[in-house]
Amino acid sequence: MSQTIAEKILAAKSGEARVTPGQIVDAYPDLVMSHTATWRSVSVMKKIGANTLYDRDRLAIVLDHISPAKTEKYAADQQTSRNFAREYGIEKFYDVDAGIAHLVLMEHGHVKPGDLIVGTDSHCTIYGALGALGSGIGYTEVASVWVTGKLWMKVPTTIRLTLEGGFAPGVSAKDLMLHLIGRLGADGCGYKSVEFYGPALRAMSISERMTMANLAMEMGAKCVFIPPDEKTLEWLLPRLKDAASYKPVSADRDARYEQSIGIDLSSLTPMVACPHQVENTKPVTEVLGTRIDQAFLGSCANGKYEDLAIAAAILKGRRIDPRVRLIVTPGSKEIMLEAMRSGVLATLMESGALVTNPGCGACAGDGGMMADGEVSLSTANRNFIGRMGSNKSSIYLSSPATLAASVLQGVIADPRELYRGASQ
Amino acid sequence: MNMVEKILARKSGQKSVAPGDVVVTDIDLMVMHDLSANFVMKVFDNEMEGASIADPAKLVFAFDHNFAPATREAAEALAAVRRFAARHGIRNLFDSGCGSIHHVIMEAGLVTPGMIVIGCDSHTPIYGALGAFATGVGNNSMAALGFAHGKGWFKVPETIQIHFHGTPMKGVGPRDISQFLVGHLGEDGAIYEALEYAGPYIQSLDVNDRSLFPLQAIDVGGKCGFVNPDEKTVRYVRELLGNSAAAARLELFQNDADARYAHIIDIDVSRIEPQVACPPTVGNVKPIDAAVGTPIDVAEAGGSTGGRLSDIRTLARCLTNRRVHPGVRLQVVAASRGIYLAALKEGLFEILHTAGANIFPPSAGSNQAFNMGALAEDEVMISTQARNFPGRNGHPKARHFLASALTVAASALTGRITDPRTLEDL
Repeated sequence: MSQTIAEKILAAKSGEARVTPGQIVDAYPDLVMSHTATWRSVSVMKKIGANTLYDRDRLAIVLDHISPAKTEKYAADQQTSRNFAREYGIEKFYDVDAGIAHLVLMEHGHVKPGDLIVGTDSHCTIYGALGALGSGIGYTEVASVWVTGKLWMKVPTTIRLTLEGGFAPGVSAKDLMLHLIGRLGADGCGYKSVEFYGPALRAMSISERMTMANLAMEMGAKCVFIPPDEKTLEWLLPRLKDAASYKPVSADRDARYEQSIGIDLSSLTPMVACPHQVENTKPVTEVLGTRIDQAFLGSCANGKYEDLAIAAAILKGRRIDPRVRLIVTPGSKEIMLEAMRSGVLATLMESGALVTNPGCGACAGDGGMMADGEVSLSTANRNFIGRMGSNKSSIYLSSPATLAASVLQGVIADPRELYRGASQ
Repeated sequence: MNMVEKILARKSGQKSVAPGDVVVTDIDLMVMHDLSANFVMKVFDNEMEGASIADPAKLVFAFDHNFAPATREAAEALAAVRRFAARHGIRNLFDSGCGSIHHVIMEAGLVTPGMIVIGCDSHTPIYGALGAFATGVGNNSMAALGFAHGKGWFKVPETIQIHFHGTPMKGVGPRDISQFLVGHLGEDGAIYEALEYAGPYIQSLDVNDRSLFPLQAIDVGGKCGFVNPDEKTVRYVRELLGNSAAAARLELFQNDADARYAHIIDIDVSRIEPQVACPPTVGNVKPIDAAVGTPIDVAEAGGSTGGRLSDIRTLARCLTNRRVHPGVRLQVVAASRGIYLAALKEGLFEILHTAGANIFPPSAGSNQAFNMGALAEDEVMISTQARNFPGRNGHPKARHFLASALTVAASALTGRITDPRTLEDL
């Protein structure tokens, strides 16, 4: 009784009846994700002299960050990962054409409510969009979990966020998260679990929920939960191999929260994270007219089909400003296929965008590097110095709608202007 | 005189020229990709103080090796070229994602018959398929003569005519035949000579397929390659130019009936099997039997020699309702934005994507492995690219075979280099 979702999952995965915040448990993750860094874990495994896995079916490998290889070194590292997957019979192996690990694993039904999932990427929190406990760990720890099956974790305290109202046109989940990150700070939820609730949540698509769970990492969250509902079931069920494995976990009514925060979505405006910290957020109205050289539509935060479709709806029949280079990277193979079929990809190309193969793309510094003094507007989740090229370049983060409105003008623009135009 | 001699005579203000003459001519178009634009720009800025560009309208930059720069250094190089273009009023800058340089320039209607085109890319002779005299030059020549004076000097080349006749067997296409010629003549088989591609087989091809032949002229050491322009050339150019003044002015420089050749080589295309250029060079061309069965890791349709709409159609035809072999990464790279959009709208990309291919932005693809195409030590690639030299695609010990789109498709399906004639329905 009186347990949060994180407490319930960690108790279940460590064989305890119940756990309390601050307690250290030995948990057995259901899935260990490793991406392009897999070769590092492989070399750690060799170094410690291990040659057996606890359970090969709990491993998932997706080569997403540098896809495909640009250098001999990356080619050799990817081959190491590929050979490892072959040698150990890893069935959940996805090569350089698959897309971003997080999206690929969710699309392929490898993430279920109540699962404990760890991986070599800080944005593993995204699995909370489907009600799983996702958290990032290092590649050394990954090797250790591969071999022992377990990982020690401290049970986090939980913050409860309640969403009410609805977004104004041109405002989206990305703006909500940039607002929250700015308000609470980069460590505002440091090592805490975040549970989202409220009537507004039910209206949100799975894609928006993924954006939220993904970005909560940028306020320090250990993990995030958006409790599963009919939408989760509808999205996930056709993707699961075994429908009976769909067992949502919910918090007890009397669960203890460290803090409760309420937000009225209708009060939010489009937000932008300014250089060089995600928490350096401002309403878009304060940076209107900022020149941009490059725009990047993609990443696990906003490279989903809905994100591409939102941008395409704005760009349809228009040309991007010739001063701007727009790079679009679909998050996964499934997303790219949907965008091909619906015409979204053609619309983006016709507007002047460069559409790349699926993957992490420019967000992780894979293509789309910037020169000294250049400015980028990106839908990704990080804007740290040098992340997309020169240390003298700068990155602004925004929603797909703000990005689309901005590439039309060559400067940062307010998307609400376009939506006002459309409704008239 | 033949086409090349007539163009060189006209552009140097003479009534006639003969092989061995040295002529100074006006240049109509100077083309550079992202890498060479950066080199030439540096020569111009650093070695030629005070010089100005004679005619910026004749310069074209097309960024094709970097479709999205993978390093800071590449980003700086592109930014420097953009600044140079802005400073000198060079309007024809096609930025990253435009496609593969020569296809971008042809699609933009910038080359018309009778032009002299120079480029800092060895495959510049491709424009000979449009009835132009086109050849590659070094970065210094481009900066000192082209940029500063709008001129170039050339020794009028001797001409070899390659006369193709016969009908190719099933499974053999223009790439096999152009590649066969490279192997047949050898890498130094036509040093500083013009190659004229003629005969009923060449006449039967459309301009896009014809272009493969002059494109590969450099692979036998040729100065240029050309197809005597005909009504197909005119139709191709008019389609691109529409009702413009340039379209109305088209002038063909056709061979005189008594044009002289250093020699004439006769090739019966009906005897040519599918061809592969085996590592380590483009001249190491063999009938496919020599390579059949070699396991492959990467297959690619792309580059100036293989990202054409016809190549993508071939691939889609072979992969409809089939899956790429699980051990193979198949990469598809359109050679221009126009080709990409056409392939997308024809549903070809959907077929290929569903079959397991990875679709890349219009660019030079794996050529020199800037954004893609790096291989590990023991990996093997088969592609429609133009070059396979050691180390060009990652590790120097990685092996790269060059072949037609059809052979690439057949190999992607089986995971091994495969003779397309052995697969059903291809």
